Amino acid sequence: MAEIVNENELLVARERLAAQQAELLKALLANGPAPAGFDEQRLGVERRALLSKRRGIVRMLGPAVADELGDRFRPLFDAYAVENPRRAGSRAREDAAAFAEWCRARGELPEKRKARWKFWQSN
Amino acid sequence: MVGIKDLGVGIGWRSEIDLTVERLPGVDFVEVVAENLHIGHLPESVTLLLERGVPVLPHAVSLSLGGADPVDLHRVEHLGAVAEAVGAPMVSDHVCFVRAGGLDSGHLMPVPRTRDALDVLVANVELAQANLPVPLALENVAALLEWPDGELSEGQFLAELVERTDCWLLVDVANLYANARNIGTDPERFLDEIPLERLAYVHVAGGEQHGDIYHDTHAHAVLPEVLEVLDELCSRVAPPGVLLERDDNYPSDTEIASELAAIRAVVDKHRG
Repeated sequence: MAEIVNENELLVARERLAAQQAELLKALLANGPAPAGFDEQRLGVERRALLSKRRGIVRMLGPAVADELGDRFRPLFDAYAVENPRRAGSRAREDAAAFAEWCRARGELPEKRKARWKFWQSN
Repeated sequence: MVGIKDLGVGIGWRSEIDLTVERLPGVDFVEVVAENLHIGHLPESVTLLLERGVPVLPHAVSLSLGGADPVDLHRVEHLGAVAEAVGAPMVSDHVCFVRAGGLDSGHLMPVPRTRDALDVLVANVELAQANLPVPLALENVAALLEWPDGELSEGQFLAELVERTDCWLLVDVANLYANARNIGTDPERFLDEIPLERLAYVHVAGGEQHGDIYHDTHAHAVLPEVLEVLDELCSRVAPPGVLLERDDNYPSDTEIASELAAIRAVVDKHRG
């Protein structure tokens, strides 16, 4: 039957695992060096798959931004994404908003116009 | 287990296909993504299904139980609250990690199949179980890459997880197929090694082959090869339920209905 793992052993296991998992995510999300023992080509496949998923979510949440950027959306998003890996605890909507802000700061999107009061909206 | 037997054939409820799910014949149960629901504001469509007596099972994607970080109990509590709100007999998440080193992968990442990873996973699962009102089932994920220095096969890893935590298994046959294509998992050996008596239910999904990689997209049709893995599973055990997951690029009602019918045909073939 299963061995009982004592608290100290578990703590040590957590630390080793934390280092492995952090190294992998850094490589996949933030241009970190390839961790030892992984197939480099597969790391590339995974990196592109994660980026593509994130890009698709941001496109879905902010279609107006994607439309306005047109062909520039993909290269700009990919550059933004590697500079700004998603932080644990952040939300996808915050990611979409941060990307739009990043584009504005670089002059890729016009400054946000002041919202005009519209009589058919309550605020 | 009371309440989970004979779920039948189901589909993942998504807001984009809420009307489809409501009107399709032969939807015996549904799953909802727990993170997308707010207690007290259940979607009308989910309420309608509950009123019809359709079982609704919460499925979580963010507990990161295979992660090295301590379990986020707020996420566990939310999952439990969703279970109570829909009267579910069981909840589920994945054998994976989502977050590490302060980053969020946005995806269900495979864990290394090492003793370290298993010990941490067991501790995390036990803590989650202690804070959930109903039993927990855990699902095998699709991997695009293989961790080095694995000490156990995927089947052995899951078998030991079940033995040590008494959790249930949610076997995704599309993920099993993906791992066979991408990292050389042997589906028959996997099915031999896992405790099938702890099978909660089964997932089926579509995907796409790109060069030498199979992508588990949930946005394409279910491959016949994936139904063959389901067939292999059904030849060993009658699964309590089988559920189709579709998350994007939604097809017509007719196409979804035919995928559900194809799943049912495989299940029924073994029921005699």
